[in-house]
Amino acid sequence: MGALFRDPVLFATVLGTNLPFFSMAVILLFTRSKPTVSSRISVGSIAVSAICAISLLARLFSAPPLQYQTLWFCSGKLNIVFGYYLDPLSLLMLTIVGIIACLVQIYSLGYMAGDPGYSRYYAFQSLFAWAMMNMVIAGSMLQLFIFWEMVGLASYFLIGFYYEKWSASQAGKKAFVMNRVGDVGFFLGLILLLIGFGNLDIPTLNHAAVSHGISQGLITTSALLIFCGVIGKSAQFPLLTWLPDAMEGPTPVSALLHSATMVAAGVYMFSRIFPFFSASPQAMAVALAIGAVTMILSSTMAMVTYDLKQVWAYSTVSQLGYMVMALAAGGYFAAVFHLTTHAGFKALLFLCSGIFIHEFHTNDMRIIGKQGGRKLKIPMTCITIGALALSGVFPFSGFFSKEAILTVLYAQPNKIWYAAGLFGAVLTAYYSFRLIFHLLFPKDGIEEKHHHGEHEAGSHEHEEGHQGFVFWAMAIPVMILAGVSVVLGFFEHGLEHFIMRSLPIPEELARHAVPGVHAAAHALSEGAQRVHEPNGSLLTILGVSAGLLGIAVAWFEYGRQGASRKGFLSYFPAIWKLFDLRWFLDIFYRKGLDTLVYAGLTSLFVRNDRRIIDGGIDGICIFTEGSGRLFSFLQSGMLQFNLVLMVLVAGAAVLYFVI
Amino acid sequence: MNSLSTYLLISALLFSMGLLGILQRRNLIGMLISVELLLNAANLNFMAFNRFLAHDPVTGQVITLFVMGLAAAEAAIGLSIILALYRKMHSINIEAAQKMKG
Amino acid sequence: MDTSGLNFILQAAFWVTVALTISGAAIAVFPRNILYNVLGLALALIGVSGFYLYLGSLFVALMQLLIYVGAICIAIVFAIMLSRPLHVDIPPRSAGKVWLGILAATVFFIGAAGVALKTNWQAAAGHVYKASQWSVQNIGNALLTRYELVFEVISLVLLVAIIGAVITAGFSRRISS
Repeated sequence: MGALFRDPVLFATVLGTNLPFFSMAVILLFTRSKPTVSSRISVGSIAVSAICAISLLARLFSAPPLQYQTLWFCSGKLNIVFGYYLDPLSLLMLTIVGIIACLVQIYSLGYMAGDPGYSRYYAFQSLFAWAMMNMVIAGSMLQLFIFWEMVGLASYFLIGFYYEKWSASQAGKKAFVMNRVGDVGFFLGLILLLIGFGNLDIPTLNHAAVSHGISQGLITTSALLIFCGVIGKSAQFPLLTWLPDAMEGPTPVSALLHSATMVAAGVYMFSRIFPFFSASPQAMAVALAIGAVTMILSSTMAMVTYDLKQVWAYSTVSQLGYMVMALAAGGYFAAVFHLTTHAGFKALLFLCSGIFIHEFHTNDMRIIGKQGGRKLKIPMTCITIGALALSGVFPFSGFFSKEAILTVLYAQPNKIWYAAGLFGAVLTAYYSFRLIFHLLFPKDGIEEKHHHGEHEAGSHEHEEGHQGFVFWAMAIPVMILAGVSVVLGFFEHGLEHFIMRSLPIPEELARHAVPGVHAAAHALSEGAQRVHEPNGSLLTILGVSAGLLGIAVAWFEYGRQGASRKGFLSYFPAIWKLFDLRWFLDIFYRKGLDTLVYAGLTSLFVRNDRRIIDGGIDGICIFTEGSGRLFSFLQSGMLQFNLVLMVLVAGAAVLYFVI
Repeated sequence: MNSLSTYLLISALLFSMGLLGILQRRNLIGMLISVELLLNAANLNFMAFNRFLAHDPVTGQVITLFVMGLAAAEAAIGLSIILALYRKMHSINIEAAQKMKG
Repeated sequence: MDTSGLNFILQAAFWVTVALTISGAAIAVFPRNILYNVLGLALALIGVSGFYLYLGSLFVALMQLLIYVGAICIAIVFAIMLSRPLHVDIPPRSAGKVWLGILAATVFFIGAAGVALKTNWQAAAGHVYKASQWSVQNIGNALLTRYELVFEVISLVLLVAIIGAVITAGFSRRISS
């Protein structure tokens, strides 16, 4: 206890990560009926958390990884350790989570104002922040798993926040169940590791994997199983459809969910035990393929939807695919860097969309554009910045991280992954600018709001004056994020130096270990002068031109004067339908459930019912009735009589065997 | 006096009396009391074995403590069930509680 | 020093404890007034805690007094008082049932006593009896290291039981009223 107060680092860690939990408890227990107080408590505590995280990052910037641990409990030979692991990766992630959660909560002051579930909303936000922060600094895989599940629970609460709405509660359930499917794999992987290796401590695990302390088969099996967790949490290929549905929650929740927490958790976990994964080339190959498939699939889905939030949701999935690909190709830093920049600009995009949705009460980008979306200057500017960052245009943060990832992919022996990455970049730029142009240049110009009536417009002006606080509460976080998105990219080298310091791969081992790690070491050693290599500049030009190509296509179709505003895909209705219905994944799951459970098993049961049960039932009835009459003399309903018999028999058995 | 078999006999006697109570009492609370006797007899056995035979003299005591904890839980839930039953049937005679009689 | 007198007193006290326990158990089982039963139970439990003293564990004896006599008996008394007419309705006994019960219990007793007497009990290899090993410290140590998980699980069971008891008693009241 004393150590807690004597060691400022430990104190800041414990305080920063657990304060949100207390604020949640206080809100749920005491201040549910006082929304203003609740929101202040929550925002205050998350602000303190963010400050703690930033100061930790500043303090430990050049310190070696720090590990606190204490024996939690033991049973038999199994020792369960509870502890914190503060290395550059977790510190960086902690800071991201703290800042984004803080900004989102400030934003929610405006967005959620007047909602009946205001206090509840802030309680769940705090729970979410608490779970995520604790997951980030967890010292062992078991602890990580516990908070991983907490994150899932909190996201379930938040996605189903409007629980009176059918689709929202369905979406919450879907997210929860799909996550569980992945988590079963994750948990099995952990158990396998525990049995096979006997220790779930993250640094130990990584070092053991790198120095061949664990057998290859065990690594591959458990890495694949653990990767199931990543698939579920980060919405990778077979389980990706829950994330777009998770849009049913309030928009700030989506912003939080898609940027720094929840989906980022999967990628974070992957990079947390990256050396462990990289010790198994097979698992890395699987992850690479899944990441690529996810990225392409979800990008195509984003090309056809008109729902503002859904576009960003699909793009989140595809960007996560990027990160998984980068990790699987050995680009540890590239993935972490992309995670960082993505957290910034994706939160920005969602929060901007939230302002539009708040203003126009619709998610349809065409309607928002028509009703004058571009008149909202601040969000319009910021959303454009976000989209530029997402498409990887030069001065914005996305450019740098995407470049890093493409470079790593290029280092793969098989160039198809690089091609996929480039193709994904084109698609990304296309769909994000399709959205931007929809907002900026609506089809028939901006409609005057005549059908809304004079009253509506008048009251709207009125509102604007009154809700100045609401607007600025939403606008300020957005502007901060936009600023971050503009400048973050220039910190690449500093971050790279910071992050790569902790990777427990000895250089000489990395040289001849596995292709993935080799690529990582390669990228690491040559990352600094990447731009100067002839290959490097070519790569940069290719990457940028991919983004510009996408933007150009979008401009041609939606932006320019007299554009068709239909999208080239509308000439192929079949493909449009395919993308629109999410490659039939949902239908496939539904059908699968239907055929397997409802049609298959149920019809079997029904047939069983008709034939055997109905047929036999009469005979059985007669038999039962007769025999029941007979046996009911035995069953007196006297408990004690039965007990007497039992004891007599037991006693007699003892007597027979012993004496 | 202080030998293992003395304690075993005493605990066997206690156990049989508890058994008798369970078998012939009709009052549910009476049966609960008898169950407590059974648990005590078992505890006494544990303690005696622990004292005279065990390798590690702590084990038996720890188990006894666990049994006590469980007995507390059992008494709490048992009594609440009895109260609920009484409110429903207006009797705690076990022979009156025979809704599923054949 | 002549310790035979002292030994005799210890001996006598032991048999008094035995008598106390057995008579307590008898009172707990035979009378038909439920209040007497509870008092008998308390007596028997006190006797058992005396045995624990003879077995050398002061701590467990105190726990026995605290948990059993102090908590469980009181809880039972409360239950009796809460449902007032309980001890009034004393159903008549049926002789058949009593005899059957006595038969079964006797058979069991003979069996258990047979096992106890006929077995050749042998102490485990490392068995040494030292009073210092029985300290509370050791118990606490074992409780929080080797038996930690069991300890936690039992705490959980207790919690669940308490919540369950509250719900069972509370909901049935709502239903009946």
